[in-house]
Amino acid sequence: MNNIWGSMSQYEIINWPWPIAVYLFLAGISAGAIIIALLVKWNKHDNEVPTIWDAMVKAGAIISPLTIVVGLLLLIGDLGKPLSFYLLLINYNFSSVMTLGVLALFVYTPFAFIFAGLIFEDKIKNSFLSFLYPIIGYIKSYSRYSKNIEYILFFLAIVVGAYTGFLLSANMSIPMWNSPVLPILFLASGISAGIAGNILVGLLFFKSSINKESIKYLLMLDLRVILVEIPLLLILFVGMIYTGGASKISAMQALTIGNWAMIFWVGVIAFGLLTPLLIAFTALKNHAYKVRFIIINSLVVIVGVILLRFYVVYAGQLFTGV
Amino acid sequence: MKKKYRMIHDENLCIGCQACSVACRSENKVPDDLFRLQVRVKTEGVFPDLRMDMKRHSCVMCEDTPCVTVCPTGASFKTEDGLVQVDPKLCVSCKYCIVACPYEARFINPVTKNADKCTFCYSNRVSKGQDPACVTVCPTDALVFGDINDTTSEVYKKAKESTLVYPKAHLGTKPKLAFVPNKKGVSYE
Repeated sequence: MNNIWGSMSQYEIINWPWPIAVYLFLAGISAGAIIIALLVKWNKHDNEVPTIWDAMVKAGAIISPLTIVVGLLLLIGDLGKPLSFYLLLINYNFSSVMTLGVLALFVYTPFAFIFAGLIFEDKIKNSFLSFLYPIIGYIKSYSRYSKNIEYILFFLAIVVGAYTGFLLSANMSIPMWNSPVLPILFLASGISAGIAGNILVGLLFFKSSINKESIKYLLMLDLRVILVEIPLLLILFVGMIYTGGASKISAMQALTIGNWAMIFWVGVIAFGLLTPLLIAFTALKNHAYKVRFIIINSLVVIVGVILLRFYVVYAGQLFTGV
Repeated sequence: MKKKYRMIHDENLCIGCQACSVACRSENKVPDDLFRLQVRVKTEGVFPDLRMDMKRHSCVMCEDTPCVTVCPTGASFKTEDGLVQVDPKLCVSCKYCIVACPYEARFINPVTKNADKCTFCYSNRVSKGQDPACVTVCPTDALVFGDINDTTSEVYKKAKESTLVYPKAHLGTKPKLAFVPNKKGVSYE
């Protein structure tokens, strides 16, 4: 039957579809990977032989610029007028989280590339990218500022990781997004994905020996992040339920109705958070640092983080409590 | 003095004829199957004690505008008179304003690719001293529009003699579109 007032289809469109969810994941893992790479780099002792630490720094240096570029391309492609994206770079509205994000990314992305260039200096010198070497040489002439640049990059990575959450939480129309918990949750899960991504890429491409101590350190770090994520998710939903009204209805719908509720309970909670917790606890307890477990652990963490972004983006827009 | 435009939709006078919606469509060249304005007819109560509520669904022209706040390029802006408009030259169609609007008032126009919504017919009628298209065609005068600073205006008189209700007032967006709630029908006390 037709409504006498006409079609309702314009109100049922998911305005921010899958490229946004994927972008939120890629920005998160980019920020997380570089945060971890820098933390590892700063904590590494000079007298240690190149082990997984070195691989972690290299993995972070390569993951960060690549994921953010792919993410930004997705973001631009999702604009209704992709070719007009330059308007975002010349018009600013400082009350808009999107503008603040654009500015942060405008600095973060080149810095991520510079960091990668410096870490892979020797590789670039002897490869088809050797034409880039003079640029790196020029940047190296500022090497006395390198520590400061690392601090700036670290700060920008935190901004990028958190802004994706603020981007959503600035919407009063969507109860699941309009929460101060979201930026912290996104930053935490981004760091978690960064650890997992660094471990995976480090093991696969920068073949380093498995060092018992270093893996233990990383698993412990991941464990801590996951133990932060679980209460954050709890706070998100408890907060929505206590707010009442549309917010409460939205939370109840998102947790109980259809495929998205299943994705949350099975994908995000059971698969993405409880499985790595189980692996981390058993692996740490038995001191059995099997590569197989570490890889499985990293994969489930990454899948969990992707599903969390999809869940928040879609369930948020579908279940607004009205 | 700046004008303070207000629109009032009297749900007691509205008969749900959709003339306003059709007028909006023809005045503003809204593409097929998309709407800047709908009047939704809602049946309330338990048979046989029923009533019909007519609910206008359009941009409410907030004073405190979520869409203008989030727009990264300034494409969503408020005119001097406080009416919210979209500048097609600045819109990159990121859909942030559509997501941010608590009134579901915005959509992407598939022809222009810009964010689109009710403008109170600002550029094409109101700035030339005319009423919005929806107001002019309303057969029962359920819609009243004008400058509320002007004490001789219809909208001033209407606002004075009626109890106005603002949509989603708890959000604190201070809409410039107000309603006179339906008092007809059996289930009201």
